[in-house]
Amino acid sequence: MFLFRFLPIFLICYYVFPGRMKNFILFLGSLFFYAWGEPVYVLLMLFSTAVDYFHGRLIEKYRGSARARAFLVSSVIINLSLLCFFKYADFLVQTVNGLFGTTIPLLKLGLPIGISFYTFQTMSYTIDVYRGEAKVQKNLLDFGVFVTMFPQLIAGPIVKYRDVEERLYRRSISIEAVSHGMRRFCTGLAKKVLLANNIGLLWNEISGMNFGGISALTAWIGVTAFAFQIYFDFSGYSDMAIGLGEMLGFSFPENFRYPYISSSVTEFWRRWHISLGSWFREYVYIPLGGNRKGLPRQLVNILIVWMLTGIWHGAGWNFLLWGLWFAFFLSLEKLFLGKLLAALPRMIGILYNSVVVLLGWVLFALETPGQIFGYLRALFGFGGLLDSQALYLGREYLVLLLIAVAASTPLGARLSGYLEGSRGGGRQALYRVGEKVILVGFLLLSVAGIVDASYNPFLYFRF
Amino acid sequence: MKKRSNAIFTVALLSAIVLIFTAADLMGEDRVFSETENRILAARPKFSAESLLKGDYTGSYDTYVTDQFVGRDKWIALKTGMDVFLLKKEIGGVYLGKDGYLLEQHLPEAYPLLEAEKRLELLERLVKDWNADVMLVPTADNILTDKLPAYAPYFRQDEFLDRVKERVGQEHYIDVYSALKEHSGEEIYYHTDHHWTSLGAWYGYLTWADFKGLKPGDFDPAGMEEVTGDFLGTLHSKINLSWDADSISYFPETEARPVTVTYDFQTGADSLYERKHLETKNKYGFFLDDNHGFVEIETVSNTGKTLFLIKDSYANCLIPLLTAHYDRICVLDLRYFRGRLYPLLEEYASEADLLVLYNCIHFLEDFQYS
Repeated sequence: MFLFRFLPIFLICYYVFPGRMKNFILFLGSLFFYAWGEPVYVLLMLFSTAVDYFHGRLIEKYRGSARARAFLVSSVIINLSLLCFFKYADFLVQTVNGLFGTTIPLLKLGLPIGISFYTFQTMSYTIDVYRGEAKVQKNLLDFGVFVTMFPQLIAGPIVKYRDVEERLYRRSISIEAVSHGMRRFCTGLAKKVLLANNIGLLWNEISGMNFGGISALTAWIGVTAFAFQIYFDFSGYSDMAIGLGEMLGFSFPENFRYPYISSSVTEFWRRWHISLGSWFREYVYIPLGGNRKGLPRQLVNILIVWMLTGIWHGAGWNFLLWGLWFAFFLSLEKLFLGKLLAALPRMIGILYNSVVVLLGWVLFALETPGQIFGYLRALFGFGGLLDSQALYLGREYLVLLLIAVAASTPLGARLSGYLEGSRGGGRQALYRVGEKVILVGFLLLSVAGIVDASYNPFLYFRF
Repeated sequence: MKKRSNAIFTVALLSAIVLIFTAADLMGEDRVFSETENRILAARPKFSAESLLKGDYTGSYDTYVTDQFVGRDKWIALKTGMDVFLLKKEIGGVYLGKDGYLLEQHLPEAYPLLEAEKRLELLERLVKDWNADVMLVPTADNILTDKLPAYAPYFRQDEFLDRVKERVGQEHYIDVYSALKEHSGEEIYYHTDHHWTSLGAWYGYLTWADFKGLKPGDFDPAGMEEVTGDFLGTLHSKINLSWDADSISYFPETEARPVTVTYDFQTGADSLYERKHLETKNKYGFFLDDNHGFVEIETVSNTGKTLFLIKDSYANCLIPLLTAHYDRICVLDLRYFRGRLYPLLEEYASEADLLVLYNCIHFLEDFQYS
């Protein structure tokens, strides 16, 4: 639907209309795109846009006086209130009901898609304007384009205003950029449809089992499958967003850099969901004092940031626990583990990080304490080490898992870079032909995957 | 310069693919039904403000576009080809077994004990109320276990059948499982379809006759007649790869004596077989004109006896073998019957032998008695 209706029509309009009209097309297209999934909440997004637009201007107007600060606070409060109301209200109510035995009714509001992403984007804008790190945007349309831009609207990356500020009114589109963007888009699409969806089937099958009866091998296969599913899904969406951005003349920040080859948790978080990590670092961790106020304070800051990171991913205790889990290992690494890991061979670090991250995914993917403990028991061999089920699933998905492992490393990119940069005519030709064959293959196979559509989940409805 | 021309070529190539398929899709005609998938495809949704605001409209529109996408069958074949490339042995709920066997996957967790107990309670009541006999046929995955992919999980129907036997009692239970297991090396199941073959049904018939203490009719498996050699069944539809076709055979002896068949109280026929289905995809419909809620068969066997059969489609190729033993056979398929069961039983089954004949899976999914 997106690929064969919205995208071609939108892109033709976008390229046909000249200069400044492009923003108008982009804005309209984005509203249509969002309204397609959220016909009602599109108004909420427009409200949010207007609020931050006016707050930005008010902060500028009263710059230097106490009022500017008041407007910043007001903007942050409104943004966080919207986020809390739609995302966390029922979670709080449930928690209160659970603790005090009350029966406050739930609101049962659907979570507006992408609210966590665009709220963070608009907050970065008012904060940066207040700090003087970004110029105020006087054109409502240009600002609207920043907030609603469809490529990254629903699954990131979280684009900071100052990253795209200039491109909002001045951008050139080169054929090289469009070509590069298309290539990026096809790669992302393939990651999502061919890898994430297929390997997701495996996790879907295993997570549906009775955890009391599965062997350790099955459990490890299952959580590995989830790890690949969420990585290829999420980074696939980011690739598509970045690629579409390039096609439109923007340059969005990178969001993933092969996180699974990290040799420490600290490194993992520099490679995983980079735009979120950098957002929290810039607007929470550093304002709290970062590492400048002594080690105890730094550890507290890490704790706060990773608790917030945890519940940013969903309103649930398991997500909080997931954040705490990482805070624990990050703190250990700050204390002594980091130095130790640096002294050891890199493979050991990768193994350590993989185990921490995989156990973390158990907390992330399963919701109730019963499920989590059941699964952890299985992982540690309480249901036996190996059974025919594990052998069957392992054999059935072996090829896909091997492809996923290879695709999580920079091997492919290095090979392509080597061929592209080499001087030999043969290798150059191989690169040109190979690139096209692979891209067309990605595109066609992805379409086949979408049309078949037996399993195509959207994982970020809780973000 | 080379870089630039390379970029132009990439953009042109990928744009052309998307634009060509977009154009072809917009010009294509909508289909109502997909023969390969054997299901009705989504139609263009009706627009209303209400459905738009609820988010239903856009959702159905997406389904509509996907279902009607140009060359849908070929895309699905491509996806299946990809699964084969990944060396997968299970595609869309079908095991790619050895020797060209496609076997329907029935995962153990899909048939929880409690659900099974509920069906068994109903069955037990039916058996008590009507003195019925029970013949539940295992599906191919349980008999042709050596054809399954290595370590493939399957719901253990022998354990389930042990419970059936316990519930309904030895004197009502026809053990077709053992008979089929004994002949598991023969062509008793289709390779591309979930049904058993006429040969499989013949072994079932022999078990039944033995159980009833009757002398089986003179059917010669060596004299079976092939009616088609290019049958690609329901399991093949799910994977749609190029595959060796099955043949469908039947016992010509069953046509020796005249019968009158009445379908759903209306249309009559003078044969147990409908050759028109052999021209369609659904060739198994050859037996007893595919699926009907209620079928009455009158024969000239002069035994003075009536059989009332509650069944699924597995029975269709076995029923012709039973015609020698009954003057009248009433056949009820609960999935297609839109009336009340009890009055029907009162009217037709009070003097009759009653037999329940399902495959285990259909029994667990569909059997009703209330």
